[in-house]
Amino acid sequence: MADERAINPQAPAQTVPLQPYASVSDQIAMIPLHYPLRRRWLIGLGISALFTGLLVVAIGYLFYAGVGIWGINSPVFWGLAIANYVWWIGLGNAGTLISALLLLLSQQWRNSLNRFAEAMTLFAVFCAALFPIIHLGRPWFFYWLLPYPNVMALWPQFRSPLVWDVFANVIYLLVSIIFFYIGLIPDLATVRDKARGRVGQVFFGVLSLGWRGSAAHWQRWRRTYRFCAALAVPLVVSVHSGVAMLFSVGQLAGWQTTIFPPYFVMGAMFSGFGVVAMIAVVLRSTFRLDSLVTIRHLDLLGKVLLASGLMTSYGYIMDAFTAWYSGDPFERATLFDRFGGAYAWSYWAAVILNFVVIQGLWFGAVRRDPMWLFFIGASVMIGMWFERYMLVVTTLYHDFLPSSWGWYVATFWDWALLAGTIGLFFFLFLLFVRFLPMISIFEVKEVLREERVEARHAPSR
Amino acid sequence: MASLPPANDSPSVDPTAKVAPDLATLRHRLASGTGRRFWRSLEDLAESDDFRRFVEAEFPAALELSETSRRNFLRLMAAPMMLGGLAACGDMPDEKALPYINQPEILVPGKALYFATATLFEGYAQPVLAETHVGRPTKLEGNPDHPMAGAGTTDAFAQAAVLELYDPDRSRAITFLGRIATWDAFQGVTVGLRDRLRENKGGDLRILIDTVTSPTLRRQLDDLRAAFPQARLHHFEPVGAALRHQGTLRAFGRPLDVHYRLENAAVIVSLEDDIFGPGPSQVRHAAQWSQRRRDHQQDGDLTRLHVAESTPTLTGALAGTTLNAASQRMPVLLANLAGSLGVGEGNTAEAALTQGEQAWVRTAAGELAAHRGIGLLALGAHLPADAQALAHRVNHALGNAGVTVVYSEPVGLAATDEASALLALAEAMAAGEVETLVVLGANPVYTAPADLDFANRMDRVSLRIHAGLYYDETASHCHWHIPLTHPLESWSDARAVDGTASMLQPTVKPLFGGKSVHEVVATLLGQLNATAYDLLRETWDACLGGDEKAWRQVLNDGFVADSVAQTEAPAPQGAAAEVSLAIGVPASGEASGLEAIFRPDPCVWDGRFSNLAWLQELPKPLTKLTWDNVLAISARLAEGLDLGAGDEAELTVKGRSVRGPVWILPGQAERTITVFLGYGRSRAGRVGDGAGFNGYAVRTSAEPWAVPGAALRRTGKRLRLATTQNHATMDGGDFVRTMSVTEARAAHPDEPLAPTFYPQWEYPKYAWAMSIDLDLCIGCNACVVACQAENNIPVVGKEQVEAGREMHWIRVDRYYEGGLDRPDRTLFQPLPCMHCEQAPCEVGCPVNATVHGPEGLNQMVYNRCVGTRTCASYCPYKVRRFNFFEYAATDSPLLQAQRNPNVTVRARGVMEKCTYCVQRISAARIEAQKEGRPIRDGEVVTACQSACPTQAIVFGNQADPDSGVSRRQQSPRQYTLLRELNTRPRTTYQARILDKASDGEA
Amino acid sequence: MPQADNPRALLLEFATGDDLLAAAGRVREAGYRQLDAFSPFPLEGLAETIGDKATRIPWFALIGGAAGALGGLFMQWYANVVSYPLNIGGRPLASWPAFILPAFELAVLGAVLAAVMGMLIENGLPRLHHPVFEAERFGCASDDRFFLWIASSDPHLSYPAGRAVLDDLGAVAIHEVPA
Repeated sequence: MADERAINPQAPAQTVPLQPYASVSDQIAMIPLHYPLRRRWLIGLGISALFTGLLVVAIGYLFYAGVGIWGINSPVFWGLAIANYVWWIGLGNAGTLISALLLLLSQQWRNSLNRFAEAMTLFAVFCAALFPIIHLGRPWFFYWLLPYPNVMALWPQFRSPLVWDVFANVIYLLVSIIFFYIGLIPDLATVRDKARGRVGQVFFGVLSLGWRGSAAHWQRWRRTYRFCAALAVPLVVSVHSGVAMLFSVGQLAGWQTTIFPPYFVMGAMFSGFGVVAMIAVVLRSTFRLDSLVTIRHLDLLGKVLLASGLMTSYGYIMDAFTAWYSGDPFERATLFDRFGGAYAWSYWAAVILNFVVIQGLWFGAVRRDPMWLFFIGASVMIGMWFERYMLVVTTLYHDFLPSSWGWYVATFWDWALLAGTIGLFFFLFLLFVRFLPMISIFEVKEVLREERVEARHAPSR
Repeated sequence: MASLPPANDSPSVDPTAKVAPDLATLRHRLASGTGRRFWRSLEDLAESDDFRRFVEAEFPAALELSETSRRNFLRLMAAPMMLGGLAACGDMPDEKALPYINQPEILVPGKALYFATATLFEGYAQPVLAETHVGRPTKLEGNPDHPMAGAGTTDAFAQAAVLELYDPDRSRAITFLGRIATWDAFQGVTVGLRDRLRENKGGDLRILIDTVTSPTLRRQLDDLRAAFPQARLHHFEPVGAALRHQGTLRAFGRPLDVHYRLENAAVIVSLEDDIFGPGPSQVRHAAQWSQRRRDHQQDGDLTRLHVAESTPTLTGALAGTTLNAASQRMPVLLANLAGSLGVGEGNTAEAALTQGEQAWVRTAAGELAAHRGIGLLALGAHLPADAQALAHRVNHALGNAGVTVVYSEPVGLAATDEASALLALAEAMAAGEVETLVVLGANPVYTAPADLDFANRMDRVSLRIHAGLYYDETASHCHWHIPLTHPLESWSDARAVDGTASMLQPTVKPLFGGKSVHEVVATLLGQLNATAYDLLRETWDACLGGDEKAWRQVLNDGFVADSVAQTEAPAPQGAAAEVSLAIGVPASGEASGLEAIFRPDPCVWDGRFSNLAWLQELPKPLTKLTWDNVLAISARLAEGLDLGAGDEAELTVKGRSVRGPVWILPGQAERTITVFLGYGRSRAGRVGDGAGFNGYAVRTSAEPWAVPGAALRRTGKRLRLATTQNHATMDGGDFVRTMSVTEARAAHPDEPLAPTFYPQWEYPKYAWAMSIDLDLCIGCNACVVACQAENNIPVVGKEQVEAGREMHWIRVDRYYEGGLDRPDRTLFQPLPCMHCEQAPCEVGCPVNATVHGPEGLNQMVYNRCVGTRTCASYCPYKVRRFNFFEYAATDSPLLQAQRNPNVTVRARGVMEKCTYCVQRISAARIEAQKEGRPIRDGEVVTACQSACPTQAIVFGNQADPDSGVSRRQQSPRQYTLLRELNTRPRTTYQARILDKASDGEA
Repeated sequence: MPQADNPRALLLEFATGDDLLAAAGRVREAGYRQLDAFSPFPLEGLAETIGDKATRIPWFALIGGAAGALGGLFMQWYANVVSYPLNIGGRPLASWPAFILPAFELAVLGAVLAAVMGMLIENGLPRLHHPVFEAERFGCASDDRFFLWIASSDPHLSYPAGRAVLDDLGAVAIHEVPA
């Protein structure tokens, strides 16, 4: 048993360098309990709170005055609000997908990333969920989209993709929260046991539901967790397919191709991995977690980012191809308008940021350099936003009858909502890193154990 | 007998409010103050609690002023103004008025009463049936029994008249030196005035009046002349057709009205005569033309139209061949035309013509020669009298006179002698010969040509009296101002353009207690107690022999039977050779100064309608601009001067200059600048003030219509213009289909419906459908305003139109084909909701707010709508309109009185669109069910359909194979817009038939 | 003299997962049945070793999922065909393809909720306090220590033979869980 605790220098490529289990617990569990960098955290929280305030103001004025404060008009009845919604929900899809998919494929390296990836998902979905409500002309009636007994004896119109989205998003949010929480319970127990103060003990004690880590607990817990993962994957796909339907159910040119659902799902994964990469790099350097989030993690992230990026690019190509090949004059007009029309900048920005930039990831050096990875992740984020903007605006502003062609220019209040939701996202995320274990403690230990077993057999060979 | 209920029973109004005494000062601040300042000043003024409550209730909205300032301002100010206004209105005696259809004894709430009356446009009666709900006129329809052609329909102006009635900015009180005065005080003044006038036989009394067609008023004016023989009557109509009378005077030796008979005309050659453009005769001409067109759409013998014009008009848009030439080329063209037709030899100088001009003249002359007796040579009313005279000779020589054109004694009071022109008055005032000036209706301070310096000269007159609807520019220069009653609230009479005497009876008590013009004149005559009603009866008892039954019949019909003007076709006097046509500028294109021409605005006319928000926001037929007038120039000129649409330019004419935005108008003569009048007013009211620029500032009495030697300079500033259509061409689409005469005659190409996965929903009993014949649409916009009046459609203001948020339920799309300099074709397409049977919008709605009705209507359930705007995004025709802000609900109580009680007023955040006037369908269904019969064909008439002067729109039940709409759908020209989307619209179109001349068969 | 008042259970502390697994196997062979084991992370096969019967969670999930799917489809069919039939864009009343997505989402929700409920019920959670927490070293069970629980009521504890087994299991320490 001695060798199990020994740290083997020439162990094979490891996800996590060998170290005592306790050090893992300490490194992670101590962050919520004895937060290392309060000042920086407070500054960060202050700034993000400022933007969250802007969001509150923007929504308040919106409810007072009406959606007319935005740049929307006829024919561009949808503007930034919808683009932001699709963008956020895209980010929101990644966390759960990464976590669940990699769990099912038993990719151990996931264990250092899944926790904050899932947290990111929750907050992104929360931001996304704001838009469908506030973009309504009469937001105070948002609940009319839900099936509930009412005096008008009316139901939602189940053929409408908006209703699909309501179901998909609400359920996705619930499932993500459950998935996140179930995965969190054992670590909460760890923090509970580490906690010295009474408050901490009670707080984490209650949250951990009295988890004891008994064999039976672990067995059933594991079944459930994998089960949720298995369901979460198709759920994510369905959610973003639903979002794609929001457009492709209409008959407008540029929204029709059957590739839309997969195209959107890929884009969602892509942007999600982008954020995860960024966050991984930031947390890693901020909290000195190099030993838990290793270069190998970054390398793998880079590869996945590249892969999903190329799939998204395939979506671009097929979308363009089908539009051209259909021979439909309106489809073609929209396509060429995207290439060279008034909003071509949004199209080319998307192509460059989402396709050209990620080509750097072919090179290991780039993938393993945190800085590079961070910037590429950022470019993907922005690129995907441009794509959503392009998809919404270019189709609407030039539709069938030239007489109703128009323009779209976003107003201050449009942008305020985008900035505000980003602020809200960081606000929530900062609270998360402050109060919850941001990396799955027990799962890292699991990895450690297996590597120890390997390590033990290494010298004997 | 209908005892008309008082109008001032609308909610937040308390007649006892004592704000009235401050109105005068209020008005002055109104003229000066900005929005907020004015608001404050009002607050200070207000004494009444109602007003305070109103302020509290409305104040939140004031914060929005920056958003949609003019419009909100209108809302905000209206009610407080009204509190004062109503305080000023006294008790009116109950006169007897007869409702048109329903028995007046029962004034059933929710049941409309219809009164046959008329509104006035340039003094001419526009016969209407006024729909009133519990004493409030809400909508005007044409009077189908009226003998004038097209009287059953209306133009945009008549539709907006009901808004004018409720205009909160109408003057509300008699004022003396800007202070509230009383009618008695005014009458007192007239007593002294009369004594003086009796001594000098009225030598120093001048009366300025616009066109008068009212028999009663003419009688009164005759009495006035008799009483004061020296007094002088001056006539002034800023647009008018005075030159026509000059022309007939030259040709026939006496002033005559010219009446076209387009139903007989196979060929029309028009030199700048905007026959189908806005004006008193638009409806009549459109009806005559469409009558013949409808008769001949099958055999293809359609009226052929050849137009030469300097600036595009609706007439030019209909023409087979158009020639763009400077306005001042017209006499030369006419001379050649006449010469080649053998009239007035010696005038021909073909050498002076360009290639294009020669070609056009040859075609036109050929057509006229080939259609002797059934052709018509029409000349713009603004062209020189000599030219007019020559045109009359040509029509006479070709035997057209009496068939396609007839003449009658002037319907209006003719102003042919220089002595009675405005110029004479201005000079007399300058010479100090005028002691007393009475201005009846006219607004010369704003509309008089700049060179007359009217305002200053008028200030020398020692007693100035103004009577008008508004406290306008002229009123502000007068000692006395008397508010006149609106045609819809007063007793009067007037003649329609065809001469038929029409009766104006009040549909509501005078809202602001104005005085009828008859009462004002009567006062001058010393008849202090005469009421308009008595004066009217006096006139007509004389004609009808005091027969009470006959009088009732007249009120019932709204017109006097057989009172149409006697028409004749006199022979011209003298020889044509005398007519000198030496005038004329070098052929267009050659290096010469620019030409500035003046035209009335197609929506606010000469400015008299500039406070009517409906007309301000009505897209001009050709430019699709709203809320502004422009300097229209040709693309070439724009390139030359490096001007783009919206660039401000300075136009200098004879030393006077004005600045305004330029607009590039396809089909504009290269070196002609069109100045649209009617804007840049300072005292129109809160809607009209400050909109556009004042074209009268560069107009001269010598050359009121076309001036050579104008100069245009770029100022470098850019002005914001609000247009409702940014893209002018169809980009290769066939949204507006055109066919040659031969194609049109071909058999119906029975297009099978594209296959679908969906089940066939049955509409066994009623399947409502609309059919729009683009071959009959002249793009006059009557349907748009009619729809707005019927369906409580809000006005959103310039900023919102600019943002692309106009609310019109039916729009008229305008497309050009061909070059920018001279488009081959200008096409119009009215676009209401298509009511698709497989509607994309309904699928998008998550809350069942837009669903399909059992009769195939695409219905909006306003109170269910949450405003996701998915329906509008999915709509391929973009006919849905969204309330981005609270547009309607905060309108002033006064404007709310105009609302159609059968149509929901839509709140903020709610989608809306054309409903096929579902309220009218229900009304018809109720009637039918009461009588236990199905709804008859033609029983349901939509607002747009009833207004359309050419009957281009037909609505009905397509489940009934014999219905009008079903028969329309059998036309070989039937087609569906965006058919490939398989949305299966209920609204379908008939293709436009191209003029032979233009499809190469000529 | 801790043995005097008989404890609720014995808690054997191990340093590694392997030790725990081995020990669990041995005591089981020895005939112990009232066992439980605690580890900071799941150990493959541990549950089976101490003789824990298989879980019924998949069944919970299946039922939940089916309920969600059928309920979803029925709700939409009922709403569109029975409760409030409307002609929407000329589509059939029962537009099955359109109903699939909401039904699927509801199925997932049903399955997940059922699975989680099942897990909590079977694990008897939440249970904020449990006697094992009384053992002072037990705090490490969530950190880096592994424990084997043998209930005092297990008859084998009373046999000397059974007692003997415990001695050479390689336990770092043996604690008593107070009653």
